[in-house]
Amino acid sequence: MPSILEQVRAIASDIFSVPLAQIHPESTPETIESWDSIQHLNLALTLEERFRVQLSPEEIEQMKDIGRIASLIEGKLQGTPS
Amino acid sequence: MPIVLQSYRPEHEPSVNEFNQRLRSAGADADLVFYESAEPRWLPATANPDLYNEFFLALDNGTVRGGYALKHQMFSFADGSIREVGYYHHPLSESIVNQAHAIVGGLLLRDAMQRSPLLYCLGMGGYDRPLPKMLARLGWSHCLIPFYFRIVHPARFLKEMQALRTSSGRRLLMNIAAYSGLGWVGLKAFQLLQRVRAPQSVVCQVDVIDEFGPWADELWQRSKDAYTLCAVRDCTTLRTLYPAGDRHFRRIRVRQHSKDIGWAVVGERRKDQKYGSLRVGSIIDCWASPQDAVPVIRAATEELEKTGVDLIVSNQSHGAWCGAMQAAGFLTAQSNFIFAASKPLAALLHPFDETRSRIHFTRADGDGLPRNF
Repeated sequence: MPSILEQVRAIASDIFSVPLAQIHPESTPETIESWDSIQHLNLALTLEERFRVQLSPEEIEQMKDIGRIASLIEGKLQGTPS
Repeated sequence: MPIVLQSYRPEHEPSVNEFNQRLRSAGADADLVFYESAEPRWLPATANPDLYNEFFLALDNGTVRGGYALKHQMFSFADGSIREVGYYHHPLSESIVNQAHAIVGGLLLRDAMQRSPLLYCLGMGGYDRPLPKMLARLGWSHCLIPFYFRIVHPARFLKEMQALRTSSGRRLLMNIAAYSGLGWVGLKAFQLLQRVRAPQSVVCQVDVIDEFGPWADELWQRSKDAYTLCAVRDCTTLRTLYPAGDRHFRRIRVRQHSKDIGWAVVGERRKDQKYGSLRVGSIIDCWASPQDAVPVIRAATEELEKTGVDLIVSNQSHGAWCGAMQAAGFLTAQSNFIFAASKPLAALLHPFDETRSRIHFTRADGDGLPRNF
């Protein structure tokens, strides 16, 4: 079973149309050209659907890099506050 | 401080006013303002629990950064179900003048999608605008709803239609066509040809009525299953949308052999710069079984022509209604009237490419009723 980080990287790769090898935990909107506000929303919606979680507006704003996103999702799935 | 999405309440009105002032000060289009009043003037929740508007705001530590409106309405689907569907309209974000708030637009839409997963957008001014671009990128299903126009007074149209008179060469040609009478001859020949080609319809009884009555319920029930998606158009809904006494609308009842076959709502549009001084009528809304669309459109057209309008416009989505427009001598032009469906809504319309020609959407399904008439 792929880790949460691997799943998030795969989702981001698909949404941003960037090869998986170029998606790192440190990847941010500044390092991925296609990561704009619309694709940020698309990412949030896809994460909610795939992991069956609800993200608050604050959490969507705090999705600053792939690593932080994966941690956020892990926390949600474990039921711990972000 | 994170953005919070919540209902627009009266205590927010000063903050909304400040938001509007910031947009104006930053040079935004003067039309881009959010509602000054927390209580919707059009379709407030108190009037009809199945058809109403709500407003929501994006608040940043009490400062308004954006807002949107959500109209709740019942729709009929091809499987016979009646479900509430939301119409997302008037989204406005401070990001249009300050990119520091770029996230607000997406949060507004997402909030609407959470409140009403079955969600659509309509109109939007064309695919080059930010909202339709965003919806397309988010995977919403979408299509253009055809635009039709019928020139009633060719000479005035050629002299006044500012949207077409965009170069000196065009203005010269249009003036020649207007003053020589060539425009009139050409247009009338075309309309006569369309009339001859159209299926001949039985003579109908056409009445302008003050108010929709229970007869509309029977007509609604009889015809709704012909459409893959349409807003409920029963008597209660029609009385809410077109209340008795509202002189902006003319309600037309169409009967054949004393049997109701359809109705239309027509009206004259408010003055608009692109039309110059032309009086522009609109077939705003209409209803019938698809096979009865031709006589209903003819009746609506004739009623508007009696009022002296120079030009008649309409948007129609269903193939039969589009055919009826052409049979009535309407021409088509580039449409900027987009229908976009959220993924859950599009799933109920699957396959969208096949069902979209049998959805019934008109201008009445958008937000223009109080603004444009």
